Amino acid sequence: MAVRIRNRRQSDRMTSARNDAGPRKLASDLSRRRYGDVRELIASPENPTPLVRLNRVLAPAEGYLKLEWFNPFGSVKDRTARALLEGLRARGALDGRELVEPTSGNTGIALAALAALDGLRLTVTIPSGVPEEKLVLLRMLGATVMPTPDELCPVDNPRDGAIALAHAVAESPAHAGRYVMPNQYANPDNVRAHYETTGPEIWEQTEGRVRTFVAGFGTCGTITGVGRFLKERDSSIRIVAVEPQRGHRLPGLKNLQESKPPTILDRSVIDDVIHVPDEPAYAMAKRLFREEALIVGPSTGAIVQAMRELDGETHGLTVGISPDGGQKYASFYRDILGEEGMAP
Amino acid sequence: MTAPQTLDCKGLLCPLPVYKASQALNRLQPGQLLRVECTDPGSLADFPALARQRGDTLVSATEQGDVQVFVLKKGSE
Repeated sequence: MAVRIRNRRQSDRMTSARNDAGPRKLASDLSRRRYGDVRELIASPENPTPLVRLNRVLAPAEGYLKLEWFNPFGSVKDRTARALLEGLRARGALDGRELVEPTSGNTGIALAALAALDGLRLTVTIPSGVPEEKLVLLRMLGATVMPTPDELCPVDNPRDGAIALAHAVAESPAHAGRYVMPNQYANPDNVRAHYETTGPEIWEQTEGRVRTFVAGFGTCGTITGVGRFLKERDSSIRIVAVEPQRGHRLPGLKNLQESKPPTILDRSVIDDVIHVPDEPAYAMAKRLFREEALIVGPSTGAIVQAMRELDGETHGLTVGISPDGGQKYASFYRDILGEEGMAP
Repeated sequence: MTAPQTLDCKGLLCPLPVYKASQALNRLQPGQLLRVECTDPGSLADFPALARQRGDTLVSATEQGDVQVFVLKKGSE
């Protein structure tokens, strides 16, 4: 698998460069959780993200969450960012260029972290409603942020203003090829990331017993990549997509009536689409905090709510994706809580 | 009255001119003018919409050869 091979080669090169300069340093050793570079922490079949059983909110069904926030930059997008940059580098598209990408935050954070290690500059265009914490993380990592109001593109899809703005930055004649856009919505490397890592991890971690897989519509890299891998193993495994309502506030998820369906989406691997409104998603996020002690982001609430709506008896062992953790959503959750939990 | 601040958006594709104009208007005082020079024909539809949504005034929209020139007046509050 290209992803792993390249990682190993990179770390070897870095280790030997350091060895030349001074005394011999310890080699990377996954069994000791010792890493020569933070990039080696990004999940792979040798170093998978945890799969944790949900014992309360789904009982008696057997359901697991794959905790993608155990990736080093905090989300499932670490896999995507690694694959996108690998692909661009292999095609020689990075040479002397700056990166620009539309993102609701997590892809930006992962790209910014990897760009920082490689000395690349990154600009991110961000839709409205992304919590302040993510913008601050991006700026701390040295990225330039362009918060994009929804009404920026009144003529086309209003919710896709950040995507249109990133295209404009990348393609404007005045910028004369200065920028390259990884474009997670259209880049097959986004699908490859999940086909080569997330999918095989789930198959291995469930010992081939997975019967249903649940992930959200976003860039559609996860649902397409994992879906394709699992269908190839066993075409009877059900692939379920979660779609938020129109005008939703769930960062990272997309309603494909109000947003343009990403070109990497392969609907042929999807068996069902479950629609989850914001309120049940928020309520489930609270239950995950309070009953499972899982500090998850809001989109995980939507995904687990969809898992609950499946009939556990007929859908068998179910795996859902938890795209990110709750730490970045303090201001978002404060709005949802209102006065709840404040001493009178 | 002093000459309005000019924003050069020539060679920038939509919606970058509207984005830059919006940022520049945020930094102006009510009543101040902003002049924007664009070459993307999409701007002809975008600037009236921008002014309407923001509560600013589109004072003029003219074409000088391939260049569209918009003058916007920042609204109150």
